[in-house]
Amino acid sequence: MKRILIVDDEPHITRVLKLYLGRAGYAVDTAENGQAGLDAIVKNVPDVLFTDIQMPVMTGKQLCFALEEQYPQRTFPVFVMTSMTDREHREWTQQISNLQFLEKPLSMRAMTHALNKYFDAAVVGEGASHV
Amino acid sequence: MSDEAFNEIDFSRYQRWLNRAAGSEVALMVFNKSGVALWGADTAQATKIGLAIVAAGMGAAGLHRHDVDAGKTALYQSLGAANDGQLGWLAVMVDHFAEQEAPVLIDQLADAMDDLVAGIADAHRDKADLVMMTDELGQRYEELHLVYAVDEHMQNSEGENDEVFQSLLQSAVEHLDVDVVAFVRPSKDVCQHATSLRHDIHNLDLVLVEMRGDLYRFLQVSAETINLNAADDPRRAYIFTDMPYKVLACPVFADRKIDSMIVLLKHLHKPDFSNGDRKLAEVLANQLSSLSNAYLLMQSMRDFNRQMARALIEAVEAKDPYTRGHTERVHYLSMEIGRAMGLPADELEDLHWGSLLHDVGKIGVPDAVLCKPGRLTKDEYNFIKVHPERSYDILRHIKHLDKAVLGARHHQEMYDGKGYPHGLKGERIPLHGRIIAVPDTYDSITSSRAYRAGRSHEVAMAEIERVSGTQLDPAIVEVFKKIVATEPEWLRLFNIRRDKA
Repeated sequence: MKRILIVDDEPHITRVLKLYLGRAGYAVDTAENGQAGLDAIVKNVPDVLFTDIQMPVMTGKQLCFALEEQYPQRTFPVFVMTSMTDREHREWTQQISNLQFLEKPLSMRAMTHALNKYFDAAVVGEGASHV
Repeated sequence: MSDEAFNEIDFSRYQRWLNRAAGSEVALMVFNKSGVALWGADTAQATKIGLAIVAAGMGAAGLHRHDVDAGKTALYQSLGAANDGQLGWLAVMVDHFAEQEAPVLIDQLADAMDDLVAGIADAHRDKADLVMMTDELGQRYEELHLVYAVDEHMQNSEGENDEVFQSLLQSAVEHLDVDVVAFVRPSKDVCQHATSLRHDIHNLDLVLVEMRGDLYRFLQVSAETINLNAADDPRRAYIFTDMPYKVLACPVFADRKIDSMIVLLKHLHKPDFSNGDRKLAEVLANQLSSLSNAYLLMQSMRDFNRQMARALIEAVEAKDPYTRGHTERVHYLSMEIGRAMGLPADELEDLHWGSLLHDVGKIGVPDAVLCKPGRLTKDEYNFIKVHPERSYDILRHIKHLDKAVLGARHHQEMYDGKGYPHGLKGERIPLHGRIIAVPDTYDSITSSRAYRAGRSHEVAMAEIERVSGTQLDPAIVEVFKKIVATEPEWLRLFNIRRDKA
């Protein structure tokens, strides 16, 4: 079972994600800010990370840069959840490897679609490396 | 659904509570209504007990017993709630005892179990509400996502209405993950669609025809969203014969009447259309319908403009039947020149109206002058010369045409400054006036009048060449020469006489 870590301080978002991801067959952990998220990653590296940006204690942006530093060889993708209306504040994301966007208000279809696509591609990739 | 709520409940808390109530360790087990163990006990044993409990059926309320083996007995009670029906079972493991000599412990346990069942049922109801609300919230996010995306699409898109609408359908087809999205409004003859398949559907035309016919009529009668998932749905016989698709058709209301519909199609092997799909389709239907209404309004404004212009032109032509067709030809050729010069869209629009309406001022010229066969006296000619300024007087009231009017007002200016009404010279003559002047000259030579037949294309071109630089802008004459050098279709269309080479 693929493990997904959701880092968001808004319980209504984490609840919805957890429910829909659970139904889609993923194991879900949650953390309520960047620091708690980083601690959870150190303990147990997830297959995918979802993170909000605006959070108390440690923001999603800080979390991403901390990951770049601590896990330069990171292979799991980061899905950054951003507002559809706020495109100007995205430039920093270009410095983060293996990053994608999920636009709020979240579409569960778009999300599961993005995940399935990622894992399908990953499986194909692994298969090819065995050849 | 009910299991999702169970997953949210912390059963260890109830286990501790039970231990305290019983004064010793008592193993608590929770089963769902199919007898699957949700909590407590080891799996193999729990599965057996669960199946046995389910097999025993739902007895009366209160505690029941199931002897697991010689040493152990499970006491169980139905976990139910007034409105939710049977949720599952709660069981505890105790040492085996004979029916007649139930230890005091059992009475205590029976009381504790009543409380536990009530407590867990309450918790389950709360959690089930939470799951339902979360689910609902997810749906709302989904709808908002679609609405925002459509809205953003509309704000950021440029180009013709049809293209915007088309790209909107395209993004909807991808967002909803279906094969075809179609917007059908038979009364306005609208049937636009987008597909997200790697290969075109070869009989899609046929499908669309069926849509706007039978499916639309059926929707008119049912007045609600139709969801055809099953291949053997009996309604298919009436509305969608032999089409290997799942169909979701959703009506769009305007003034409480159905005036269009959204149709989603998926191949039969794909997952069924869900309730969520239905809601999203309805949201999309409303968005597209307001957009389509706005476009229809714009279209009717355009039609109105065109019809008003047509009426004005008819008024001129009614006065002077010999100029019939002149306006149309000058307009056509002016646009050819404008396009060949690469004018931007907004200027082409102005040229369009300016060239169409360039002779409207002839309404103000007396019939005796306008229709006089033969040569005009100087005074009569002065009457004629008033017409471009008269065009301006008539058209200046229309704000939308304020730029277009320049072309009409100045199409009789001459390049050397000897024209009318203002005697402007060279580049000071508005560009559209200089453009319209070329086909106006051409057509006045090639068209027939009451007193003479139209002369040939070659004669007209020779004359244009002769006055290039004096009457006409040489740069525009060059453009026109390039156009006619390609022997365009309109030479034949307008019945222009040709000299044999």
